[in-house]
Amino acid sequence: MARGLKFLRSAWPVVAALALLLLLWQFGAAALDIPTYILPRPAEITVTAVAKWPLLGNALMVTLIEAIGGFLLGAAIGIVLAVLMILVPPLEALLMPIAVVINAVPSIAFVPLVLLWFGLGMESKIAIGALAVVLVVLLNLLAGLKRPEADAINLMRSFGAGRVGILWRLQLPAAMPGLVTGLRVGLARSTIAVIVAEMMGAYSGIGQVIYQATGQVDYLTVWAAVFVASLGSLALYGVLVAIDRKLVWWR
Amino acid sequence: MSMSLSALARSPVASIVYVAIAWLVLVPLFRIEPRYLPPLPVVIADGISVWPDLVAGFWRTLIETVLGFLAGVALGVGFGIAFSASRIMERAFLPIFVALQTIPVIAFGAIVVIWFGNTIMAKVVIALYLAFFPVAVNTLRGLELVDPQRIALMKSFGASRLQLFLKLALPTALPNILIGMKLAVALSLAGAIVGEWFGDTVGLGVMLLQALYFEQIPRVWMLIIACGAMGTLLYGALSLLERRFVWWRAD
Repeated sequence: MARGLKFLRSAWPVVAALALLLLLWQFGAAALDIPTYILPRPAEITVTAVAKWPLLGNALMVTLIEAIGGFLLGAAIGIVLAVLMILVPPLEALLMPIAVVINAVPSIAFVPLVLLWFGLGMESKIAIGALAVVLVVLLNLLAGLKRPEADAINLMRSFGAGRVGILWRLQLPAAMPGLVTGLRVGLARSTIAVIVAEMMGAYSGIGQVIYQATGQVDYLTVWAAVFVASLGSLALYGVLVAIDRKLVWWR
Repeated sequence: MSMSLSALARSPVASIVYVAIAWLVLVPLFRIEPRYLPPLPVVIADGISVWPDLVAGFWRTLIETVLGFLAGVALGVGFGIAFSASRIMERAFLPIFVALQTIPVIAFGAIVVIWFGNTIMAKVVIALYLAFFPVAVNTLRGLELVDPQRIALMKSFGASRLQLFLKLALPTALPNILIGMKLAVALSLAGAIVGEWFGDTVGLGVMLLQALYFEQIPRVWMLIIACGAMGTLLYGALSLLERRFVWWRAD
């Protein structure tokens, strides 16, 4: 009860601002006589989203599976690469320049390539999602793993700790905040990359619905799809934040 | 000549040279199929064969990106200042901004194109929209770093609000604002490229789409290099500005 009250006290400005924005949108658009095809009202968008739920819900499912699949694959590759580079330093010298160069290219520029390689199905979306995640996880984790100073590492070594022991006991805990940041940024990037890839070529998914509806001049469906996608990625982000809280609490 | 050899080896230029040499050597060595990675000379020859289009597309996308980026930075800094000046504004709108950052804003691209048609304005607005959030959030973070004791000191000497802002708050926040700008410029570029997919005739994004339709793998690779070059150019320009004008740093 007391917690709910506290939440209410800290959250009321956001709730008020959101309500105000929605009311302003709903009645402002009507008052200014803005046609529906330029700016549909929130109520209309909600009605469309509910009416088209079979289509939109299905598309959202596909997009979320691709985004999560790409995220997990990319995160796993990024973490393994970072650990390998710490354990085998020559590998870092060999691979880091390639990572730096690929990182300079906006990951959406690789979308045509993955579509040509993996086709229009889910594989190409998972691949581009993974690409969007790998580098940000790798670079953030690597920076974190290098944070412990040489003195601390030498101290542990003098007590007889091996490379893996140092990594596990000293470097990995120090790298956790960097890893969490990388994962958080990566999740948002993977969702965006997947939707962009779906816009360029796909059989289903939110991006494909948006692209088709734009072509058919069905603007209400475009808005509804954007809103459903937003809710979906907010939920995804919420799950990640919750996991992060649990981990911090556990530490 | 004070630059050491190892520092030179870690520089971005060295990375590019390294990757180019690896590309030249490894593709024939391992007989990598052109479908995955065509030989570098083939990719360069393709770029030369469409040189006028490439230059025109590069300029168009660069202009869209830069215009959107500059407008986004102006708006973002403005909101950051407003947030730091008004606690209630911050509590009402910052959470909405943070939430908006996690949603696939690029999906709104379709709507922006509906509003502005296939004009350069549509791409500029998308680039602006993407650049705006990181700048606003980082400006606020920077302004929050201002030491209250220094404010009190300057006030005791009779400094006006404007003087306080120009002489103390803004210089303190600038390093953070630049962090936001570096994040924003990459997003602006991605926004401009994706914006072009919804229908245009000139630009790197348009050329990417055409290369996908005609399955021209060397062309796709050439465009990936062009996109990377533009991203590096813009990021490099910002780093140069940073080193020239923001030599102090907040910790």
